[in-house]
Amino acid sequence: MLYKGNEEDVLKVYESVKSIGIVYGYKKSDNEIKFDFISGASELPLDVTTTQRPGYYRINAGFGFVHSFQSPKNFLYPPRTDIAIVTENLYVEVLENNIKSVVLFGVKPCDLAAIRVFDELFASNFNPYYFNRRRGIAGIVVEECLYPSETCFCGSVGTGPDVTDGFDLAFARIDRDFVLFKVGSSFGKIIVNKLRLERANESDVGVYRKLVEEAKKKTSIGISVEDMQKALSISIPNEHLWRKLSEKCLGCANCNMVCPTCFCTEIVDEIENDRSRRIAQWIGCLSYIYGLVAGGHFRKELYTRYRHFVLHKFLFYPKQTGLLGCVGCGRCIVWCPVGIDIRETIKSVVNEYGEKHG
Amino acid sequence: MANPFKEMQKGIVVNEVVETPTIKTLTIRLLNSEMKASPGQFNMVYVFGVGEVPISFSNIYNRGDVFEHTIRFVGAVTRAIMKSIRLGSIIGIRGPYGIGWPIKEVEGSDIMIVGGGIGFAPLRPVVKYLMRFRQAFGRINILYGARNPNEFLFKYEFESYSQIPNSRFLLSIDAPYPGWQHFVGFVTDLIKFADVDVKNTYVFMCGPEVMMRVGVKKLLERGFSKDKIFLSLERRMRCGSGICGSCQFGHMFVCKDGPVFKFSEIENYLAVEGI
Repeated sequence: MLYKGNEEDVLKVYESVKSIGIVYGYKKSDNEIKFDFISGASELPLDVTTTQRPGYYRINAGFGFVHSFQSPKNFLYPPRTDIAIVTENLYVEVLENNIKSVVLFGVKPCDLAAIRVFDELFASNFNPYYFNRRRGIAGIVVEECLYPSETCFCGSVGTGPDVTDGFDLAFARIDRDFVLFKVGSSFGKIIVNKLRLERANESDVGVYRKLVEEAKKKTSIGISVEDMQKALSISIPNEHLWRKLSEKCLGCANCNMVCPTCFCTEIVDEIENDRSRRIAQWIGCLSYIYGLVAGGHFRKELYTRYRHFVLHKFLFYPKQTGLLGCVGCGRCIVWCPVGIDIRETIKSVVNEYGEKHG
Repeated sequence: MANPFKEMQKGIVVNEVVETPTIKTLTIRLLNSEMKASPGQFNMVYVFGVGEVPISFSNIYNRGDVFEHTIRFVGAVTRAIMKSIRLGSIIGIRGPYGIGWPIKEVEGSDIMIVGGGIGFAPLRPVVKYLMRFRQAFGRINILYGARNPNEFLFKYEFESYSQIPNSRFLLSIDAPYPGWQHFVGFVTDLIKFADVDVKNTYVFMCGPEVMMRVGVKKLLERGFSKDKIFLSLERRMRCGSGICGSCQFGHMFVCKDGPVFKFSEIENYLAVEGI
């Protein structure tokens, strides 16, 4: 069921969920967009737009913000998490990081898909630090993307630009005075009722559907997931191809840091007086030290690490979680300093190993 | 499941054996607890303020509170163990983690152990198990290779290995060495000398991945069955329980899906460098 409102109503939704708990979402801060605690409606990025291209990201005044380098991962699985304090005689005090009553506001459909991936992944590999924060989420408000970026490809991996479940309330901004609200749960329904929104009429819904279809088309790279997976699995032993696909890669791990489903974690000890603080912090599989062990290196060559990144998203995550690990957000493309485009990688692999080769 | 980081136990080092100039075997007794470990599993061994390393059991005593870890001093944590841990030292232990050798399931069959270098350490509890329950198994072949005679671990036990009834204990070193009377070549070259019923033999192998790749090839050439070959893999492990992601081998987590894998389940991954 869709309801009709305007930008004012988006602000009202924000005010309404604020009463339920702490609101986390995208916010304007020092000329950038972060995913963080939102302290007031003026921080909402409703009057900005983003230009995203491979290796390029700019924010301008305008309409239709897509997302930023951060994602709900930054809240649910922060870059650094204190896990324990250990004393010199090995007494361990575990730090649980409990968070209560949080509403995620304005997360994108790709972000929602990434949260699902984490839910599945960490349910099978029980991760108390993720679930302590996940349990604290009282509500999720999604902003659908009717005007996706050039780098978005959610349409290809089935994660957007609209949402069907797993949220409480979603809104889609057709323009400033025309916003459609979609109810995803009884909690969402309560908010909509409070706002006294009217049901959208057939022609409103028609406009919305048309924009969704256009966005879907725009964010599709024209290859089915099955074909991507088939080609990728055959390509694995082709060292020459993967060396070529990764030749521009700098090994900086920016893609890992901005990817909403990358979860690899290093555990470090930091000494404070006579105690040691144990900290879980992100580490990226593209970085040079990833896979380094005392006796050697399991992915010494950069091409093997880039290959792992791509294979993990498309082949390994489905086996680990039942879900594709790539949610099509395009962050890895935008924030790669040299603009390596995972869509081009997929296309090249499919080109090499696609149907025509049987 | 509980928070794994909460489960650190205190162990005291009650014995140490210098195996080689860079490898020691520490006997650890847990101070106030016990653990039920099986051959092939590992512990996360913690040094205060430095960090943890995954180390497999090189011996498991029946008491449940005593076990051994054979450690090579090459990285930050293991060097810290070398520098600061000695007899009477307290060390942090989390575990046991992982899936070990399917030793109980293979009773009645011939068994072949293939170990390369420090890769023999996780196989030692298997050898000890086989010795203890000798009647439950068929022929036993133990193949163990090292770079040179000085690199062998557990030399003080070789006599007992060679006395296992109805068995062969074969050693190899990579290059000729003065006084060496056994085989010269790679441990995988010993496979052709194994005296077993190849169709009814379970193989437990551990060593560098390149050695295991060659080993598997030679085993298959001799007609050993893919689903009776088990390999113990090594990866960087930071949590031990599938949280941190760093030990991924294809879609597997070496820490919880392994470290012991059936060859037929990982064959495609093992064939590719750096997967």
